[in-house]
Amino acid sequence: MGIEHMETVAAKQPEYPEEGTVPLLELRDIKKRYGALEALKGVSLHVKRAEILALLGDNGAGKSTLVKIISGVVPPDAGSMFWEGRPVTLKSHAEATALGIETIYQDSALVDSLTVARNIFLGRELVGPFGFMHHRKMRAIASDVLQTIVAIEGIDSPDKLVGSLSGGQKQAVAIARAVYFKRTLLVLDEPTSALAVRATEALFEYLRTLRSQGLSSILVTHNLYDAYRICDRFIILSHGELVFEASRSETSVAELTERVSRS
Amino acid sequence: MEHQHLPMITERTPAGRRADSGRRYRIQQSGLEILILFLLVQVASIIYGVISPDTFAYVSPANIQTALEAIPLLGIPALGVGTLMIAGEFDLSIGANYIFSSIIMAQLAENGLSVWLAALLGLGIGAGIGLLNGVITLRLRIPSFITTLGTMGIWDAATLFIHGASSQPFNPPPEFAAVTAGLFGIIPAEFLWFLALSIVFWALLHQHRLGNHIFAVGGNKYAAEENGVPGNRAKLIAFGLTGACAALAGILAAAQIGNIAPSSATDLPLQAIAACVIGGLTLSGGRGTVLGMALGAALIYWIQDVLLLLGAPGFYLSAFVGVLIIGAAAIYEQLRRRQS
Repeated sequence: MGIEHMETVAAKQPEYPEEGTVPLLELRDIKKRYGALEALKGVSLHVKRAEILALLGDNGAGKSTLVKIISGVVPPDAGSMFWEGRPVTLKSHAEATALGIETIYQDSALVDSLTVARNIFLGRELVGPFGFMHHRKMRAIASDVLQTIVAIEGIDSPDKLVGSLSGGQKQAVAIARAVYFKRTLLVLDEPTSALAVRATEALFEYLRTLRSQGLSSILVTHNLYDAYRICDRFIILSHGELVFEASRSETSVAELTERVSRS
Repeated sequence: MEHQHLPMITERTPAGRRADSGRRYRIQQSGLEILILFLLVQVASIIYGVISPDTFAYVSPANIQTALEAIPLLGIPALGVGTLMIAGEFDLSIGANYIFSSIIMAQLAENGLSVWLAALLGLGIGAGIGLLNGVITLRLRIPSFITTLGTMGIWDAATLFIHGASSQPFNPPPEFAAVTAGLFGIIPAEFLWFLALSIVFWALLHQHRLGNHIFAVGGNKYAAEENGVPGNRAKLIAFGLTGACAALAGILAAAQIGNIAPSSATDLPLQAIAACVIGGLTLSGGRGTVLGMALGAALIYWIQDVLLLLGAPGFYLSAFVGVLIIGAAAIYEQLRRRQS
């Protein structure tokens, strides 16, 4: 980065909560309105490196809108975003992906008529010099990822068609895809809603591993117990505003429950 | 892209069992059913042909050679149509394209242009007609079934406008005739083209990244594009290939027969779709094999051949093809349900 650029940015740069640490992602005063509905009324938050942030709140609190803004699907009406301290505007989902943000939705984008392996590598196929695919390699990696990251029972082969999987298994494939193509920030929107207990444990274990490698995650969930077990910091949204923020040591499941239900 | 090996969370199923089930799933997706069906009818026909060669001359050299000349004329268009069906689109204009491209080629060649150049131009026109179908479909966001229903009429009319309703003669020089309609040993050149193209399409659809994109965009365009697959590009290429295949079949037919009758390819679009359905492709896209397209075309010819050899009236053919289409679609549906 050039010095001139540094100077122009410096004026806009936010102050950091901790001395010397630039947050991975910072949102300042984000606003979004859908017609008469003010979905976000100026939300500011940041995600540090190597942390798992919980985004909590009741239905209609603005969580989904915030996720869509972070993943580049919808633009905010006002406010600014900073990625590693630099201002960014995300005009599309592809731009967010290029930055290193991967979003896993409840209904993740999978092609039912393709195999598990082909879905994991869809759009990012491993190919040789003439564009011919390395089937064996992709199958082996897919098999390995499914065994180790999201150990989902029933997916006995990467050659299975995704259309023949259950909802939870499909979500596991989406998660496997996101974590294999390591992103800097994973945004998981209710990832455990369709997962069995064991699969949830496996996913959390993997998020912890990713965190130890310096990757960050935002976990959007209704399950406060799950959130408390895995997340480092908690943010509660209510009616488009940030109403509570605390680190794990400062709060408890009881307090989170109380805050969410009161909001 | 390296991936960290992590401790196992659940116990691993035995590696051997995983490999077995992997092989099972791959076989399910390989178009094996159609191969078995094809081999069964061939064995039955050959046995009957050997037992009573006088009433059923199936294994006679003449019958075999006729088959190898005729199958490519449906099989090559079916490769294009099948690729397009996998991409989730249709082309009803391939018959009009087959006639228009080959008549332009024949006129140019008969008027003194090098036949090689004329054939190349014919192929280019065919690919262009296919691409135009794609552009109209994707730009106007209308179903390709409608687009190509329209362009079918337009190119039929264009043939009548430029040429008229009479047959167009085509007398290629010997070198051109040799590579398009000659014999290599006992194998007709047309069949070698079909064989080579089948291998090319197999490599493209099943081995190449572009093929993966064609399957993905036909299976679920939204999901494919969410993952960075250039969906419209994959579809456009499939449209272009379909047009080129139709033109190539028209050119091979012109060389084989020596003239082009403007009304001779009316049935081609639906026969090509029928061949693909018999070969296990779905109308909804995203599924299918090149093996299925090729053998589907061969099976349609087989019905025709058997009926002819048994002396059945010509109209029996459409009834039997009809039964085969419905039967095949029903069987594939059952197989798919059992898979999931």
